[in-house]
Amino acid sequence: MQSASSIAPRGRLGAWRAGRSDWRLQALTIFSLSVAFICLAASLLVVTNIDAVRDRWSRAGRATIYLRDTAKDAEVGVLMEALAQTKGVAKVRKVSSEEARREIVASDDALAALPPQAFPGSLELSFSDEITDTELGEIALKLRALPAVETVETYQRWTERLGSLLGGGVTAAACLAIIVLAAVVSVVSSTMRLLLQRRKIEVEVLKLVGATDAFVRRPFVTEGATQGALGAALAIVILGGLFLIVRGRFDQQLANLLGVSPTFLPWPIALGMVMLGGLLGAATAFVSLRKLASV
Amino acid sequence: MAGTTAQSSFRQAFRQGHRYDPSAAARPILVFENVYKSYRPDQPVLRGMSLTIERGEFVFITGPSGAGKSTLLRLLHHTDTVDDGRILFLGRDIARLSPDAVPALRRNIGVVFQDFRLVPGWSVFDNVAIALEVIGLPQRLIRTRVGEALERVGLAGRGTDPARVLSGGEQQRVAIARAIVSEPALILADEPTGNLDPQLAIDILGLFEDIHENGTTVLFATHDRSLLDVRPRRVVILDEGKATDVPQGLADEDDLEMDDDLNDDLDWDDEQDDMDAEPLDQSSGVRQSA
Repeated sequence: MQSASSIAPRGRLGAWRAGRSDWRLQALTIFSLSVAFICLAASLLVVTNIDAVRDRWSRAGRATIYLRDTAKDAEVGVLMEALAQTKGVAKVRKVSSEEARREIVASDDALAALPPQAFPGSLELSFSDEITDTELGEIALKLRALPAVETVETYQRWTERLGSLLGGGVTAAACLAIIVLAAVVSVVSSTMRLLLQRRKIEVEVLKLVGATDAFVRRPFVTEGATQGALGAALAIVILGGLFLIVRGRFDQQLANLLGVSPTFLPWPIALGMVMLGGLLGAATAFVSLRKLASV
Repeated sequence: MAGTTAQSSFRQAFRQGHRYDPSAAARPILVFENVYKSYRPDQPVLRGMSLTIERGEFVFITGPSGAGKSTLLRLLHHTDTVDDGRILFLGRDIARLSPDAVPALRRNIGVVFQDFRLVPGWSVFDNVAIALEVIGLPQRLIRTRVGEALERVGLAGRGTDPARVLSGGEQQRVAIARAIVSEPALILADEPTGNLDPQLAIDILGLFEDIHENGTTVLFATHDRSLLDVRPRRVVILDEGKATDVPQGLADEDDLEMDDDLNDDLDWDDEQDDMDAEPLDQSSGVRQSA
């Protein structure tokens, strides 16, 4: 009798046996899925970075107190002392009308004709990182009530605008996620139809020897999960490559513009995408096989 | 697998979680009771057919094309379902099995077809091993038993060959190895020699006889009269939905006395034109089963 090792196939038996001959179809499916996942990953990347900018700006810790023209130096001095002792205020700097004019004119000559009175005196406040938006709002409210204060600019509007932009980004990402979901379902489902057609004889043989429906479906579901997970992983790899290229060229400009360096998707999100791809692929394969051939 | 008897061929795990019933060993392996089957209302294939097959028998199922040979085997394998009647396999009515129980039935029945039903892209080993994989045997045991099965069918050392490169006779041997590797109680062969030349057909029949010698019940459907003559075996002739049982076979025609009906039954193709049509009585061992 021949030895067992002489007849044993090289590869693992079972689920992967069928998939070996269809690697081209599998590769094409994975690439198609990766294109869909790149859209989702890109939108998540944008959302992640907008969130970082919003977070950075919300903690910018700056406010400007514009003083009335009638404000006396003594009042301003008392106000500065009081602010310096206020919890969360890191630094107080007085900017006179002349200094303000000098700073503005230095950056834009067109404004040089304006008189110094056009530039109100102000106090520039720097806050520590711990201060929250609410606390900053409360301080601004109290300051506005003082007679020497014309108005207080906390730059909260910009934070709010970024917040709404972030909300839009999240909505767009959610829409893209639905589109990606539909794309994954469609691609995997079509692939399963093709695979089932190509492996008709295999399915027939499996049924012939008494395989249960679950046994017959298993390799297809495994392949669906693998396609989904690899498609998502490939998308992340491609997007990562593109991200590195863009960051290598524009990192400094973006950092100056936004105040933060752009970051790639956090690994939990990347991992979540791969898992989502796997789950979607498996579920789609399972459902489409049930519908297709009651195997 | 060598030395397996009909008794030991009976798989206790016919239904998962079901306890072995010792009394089942004494029952016939197969009983058809008044089985009806038709694909079109005006043309019934089986019309109240009744038949009993004992353990360890080798039975030829024969008859003209369209007589219901393949239908009979499909009903047994639960590829088709009966319209009426019962089919008892090891005492259990398989005619009305729930879909969930069908795989368990099929694991206890080996099937060989005329067109082999192999996966061309798989190796010989894989084609045979799949019958054990569905049972969930460990790989080590699968390798051993597939090796034994391939050796029995004369394909030792061919495990790594792709099925597509084999000749017709070799492919049929692989199909037979797949049918016997799980040691089923019953082997169904549906025209297994239909695609083979006469000498290969005799060889393949010899393989089935070897399998039968080890105690496995074999139902061999064929319309090839020359195979029926090789050895005296029980023959069941199907025609017009009825089964005619010839327990001693058709090999020694001169000793048989056949009535006109039976003679008509056997006159299904040119190969039987040379048959003597002597009217015989029932004592010759010819009986109508339905």
